[in-house]
Amino acid sequence: MKRALPLYAAFAYLFLHVPLAILAIFSVNASRFTIWDGFSLRWYRAMFADRDLLESAANSLIIAVAATVLATVIGTLAAYALWKKASPWLAGSLYLSLVTPEIVTGISLLAFFQWIFRYLHLRLGMHTVILAHVSFSIAYVVLVVMARLRSFDVALEEAALDLGETEFGAFYRVTLPYLAPAIAAAALLAFTVSIDDYVITSLVAGVDSRTLPMVIYAMARRGVNPVLNAVSTVVVAGLGGLILISERLRKA
Amino acid sequence: MNRRRFLEHIAQTTALPAAISLAGCSSAPRLNVYNWSDYIAPDTVANFERESGLRIRYGTYESNQEMLAQLLGGNSGWDVVFPSADYIGPLRDLGLLAPIRHELLTNLDSLDAEFRTPPWDPALQWSVPYMYGATGILYQKQLVPAPQSWADLWNPAWSGKITMLDDAAEVFGACLKKLGYSLNSGDPSELRAAAEEAGKQKPLLRAYLNAEVRDQAVAGDVAAAQAWAVTAAQAIAAAPERLAFVYPREGFVRFADNMAILRESRRVEAAHRWIDYLLRPPVAATIVETTRTATCNGAAYALLPESVRKDPVLYPAADVLKRGEWLEPQSSGSQRLRDRLWTQMKSS
Amino acid sequence: MTSTPANRLRAFFLTPVATVMLATLGVPLAIVTAYSFLSRGPYGGVEMPWTEENYTRLFDPLYAGIFLRSAWVALLATAGCLVLAFPLALFIARSGARKNLYLALVILPFWTSFLIRLYAWMFLLRDTGLINTAFISLGLIHAPLPLLYNEGAVLLGLIYGYLPFAVLPLYATLERQDPVLLDAAADLGATPWRALFRVTIPLSMPGILAASILVFVPCIGTYIVSDLLGGSKTVLIGNLVQNQFTSSRDWPFGAAASIVLIVAAIAMLLLMRRSREELL
Repeated sequence: MKRALPLYAAFAYLFLHVPLAILAIFSVNASRFTIWDGFSLRWYRAMFADRDLLESAANSLIIAVAATVLATVIGTLAAYALWKKASPWLAGSLYLSLVTPEIVTGISLLAFFQWIFRYLHLRLGMHTVILAHVSFSIAYVVLVVMARLRSFDVALEEAALDLGETEFGAFYRVTLPYLAPAIAAAALLAFTVSIDDYVITSLVAGVDSRTLPMVIYAMARRGVNPVLNAVSTVVVAGLGGLILISERLRKA
Repeated sequence: MNRRRFLEHIAQTTALPAAISLAGCSSAPRLNVYNWSDYIAPDTVANFERESGLRIRYGTYESNQEMLAQLLGGNSGWDVVFPSADYIGPLRDLGLLAPIRHELLTNLDSLDAEFRTPPWDPALQWSVPYMYGATGILYQKQLVPAPQSWADLWNPAWSGKITMLDDAAEVFGACLKKLGYSLNSGDPSELRAAAEEAGKQKPLLRAYLNAEVRDQAVAGDVAAAQAWAVTAAQAIAAAPERLAFVYPREGFVRFADNMAILRESRRVEAAHRWIDYLLRPPVAATIVETTRTATCNGAAYALLPESVRKDPVLYPAADVLKRGEWLEPQSSGSQRLRDRLWTQMKSS
Repeated sequence: MTSTPANRLRAFFLTPVATVMLATLGVPLAIVTAYSFLSRGPYGGVEMPWTEENYTRLFDPLYAGIFLRSAWVALLATAGCLVLAFPLALFIARSGARKNLYLALVILPFWTSFLIRLYAWMFLLRDTGLINTAFISLGLIHAPLPLLYNEGAVLLGLIYGYLPFAVLPLYATLERQDPVLLDAAADLGATPWRALFRVTIPLSMPGILAASILVFVPCIGTYIVSDLLGGSKTVLIGNLVQNQFTSSRDWPFGAAASIVLIVAAIAMLLLMRRSREELL
């Protein structure tokens, strides 16, 4: 067993990583078919020349940043309040948002927006996508921050109160700094979840808010597209790099 | 090159296009156009933008249903759409279309005589014909025997390599034709029989694909596909030695895609300018040459080279065309039954 | 509730999340429930009269079959994930100093795009994809194997996508286990394999249950995997719901299917709470 386990682990890691590595390798393949034809950056050049693709990437970033900021703030405050005193309804609704299949969340938001827009004269757009992303990210943020709160000694807060701090001051000066690493981790989680979301976004995006996953999905459905290999490699490298950098910062 | 300069280089190559695309979300008046994929020449939008000073947001869809689903709410954000002829009636009845103002269209007379008074919109009140086509079978030349009729797409020898269009009207249309009925039939017993045929075919299919099948046929993944003539023409242009197209013996769907303006649009004049631009014979001719469509624009047809005008895929002989039937909108009862049978068949 | 400063702060902190949850979960689900009892317009849209026909339609063997098939696929995917994840989690938990590195190597692909990871398998499995091209050029086969666009591919995609979801809770449980227990088992004459099955696995039950739920619930409602890897031939509940809200434009029917799906998900949730792995 001592030898079987590492051997198995090696295969498992290969299984997890090789498909992505293959995409990266073929993203620099000169041929558009699956036969190696020499090294070439032509697919990367094609990718950067695609206006639609770049605009969707910009949209994705804007949405992810906005949703992350909002979800992290709202979620952190919620986690703190729930930790102080539980609220079964709210906790239940957060559980529900985690457990509801994405397609159901998506269609319910679509139904909601279509219904309410009849009275507000608005339409689907960046704002609806951001709102949707905030909605499903909050539960993740609460999860991460709560986990950290469980290891926090409430006596520290009480000490601060004894020393004359207000409730909010105690939170701001004592608890929040302790939560900082968890908040950072939660923000990263919210960002990744937002940037990768396809199902919900595709249903509530409007004319002007096409995101990168939507473009990727359309390309993947068409089947053969070497530019998609280049896009995949860039996204994976980008997100992977982001994770590594944030891990470094966390340890520092 | 050291790492810092490399990173700067990367930043510059990405920042510039990104900035340009972001800057593009700027102040120029916009027009939102929603069209089929690969239905316009690569430079048409850019040329129009340059000439008119408008900025076009150009979105694409793969099926009429996808387009209709977006439009149903009445606040989709699109200005111009390209529905097929059998959707013009329903869209009009749903109150989604804005009337076409002929006085704003200078090039309307370029249209082919047949399309000046089409059966689905005789006075061109709601739509302007754009491109027409038909549905047939795209197949690999090496297949023996070569498919000649819809019934051939039920051949178990090609199991796993056949695709059909992801469209109830088209699939049921082929089944109805295979059984000898009209493809616009509203008769429940005929429709049920057709649905049964479709159900029998489903295990043999690779997938239900619209224009997405083009790349897969070119790559050799698909042996025979129910495909639109324009998709087939594009595929054959990419792999002429391997692919061929046939109009099935039993009969086939004829369709025409039209330009229409949505009632929700607040840019009606701009929309007319776009439509008028696409009606311009040289513009339409360029589109045909690059995308291999069949144009409703008679003046543009006259500008096309001989090889394109005689292309049997896009412009088949009259006796072939006679076998085709225009797709007509269904009565609501028939439409409901068809939708139900389609969902049932796809879910089985 | 008395208006102490603590309570006021708490109310202030809870207002944003309560508003967002009400607006984006509560009201939408109420609307969907209402729609599920209404009727479809001739081309789509929702209109009167009230009817329970959408739900009775779901009991038709055809659609009940879809629910069962989706549950079955999800079950297989969960089993696959557990079997593959457990030894990996075991390895990481016992790897001493390099634990964090190995864990990071599992989490890293999971953090990158789910969609792209699925596309990677499309690239490999297509008729003209890498696997077939390699086998053909090596002379192992003469015609490409139909690896894509079937339920097997969907299962592979689900397992590949959700494997990290299973590894994490299993690792968390295994890591907490006291190695002294294994020493005791060895002292009593158990081989490492015996100890695994008689000690480690039974002790890991809470983690196994948590991992199962974490994989099963997303799998049963999956949409992208069956659409991309199943060729829109494999219709699972997620695909059915998506179809009804887009191309088929039968919102009431789709709403009914969604409500059933949510109820199933809630049932799973309650099952998880019984396993006492509190997350929130």
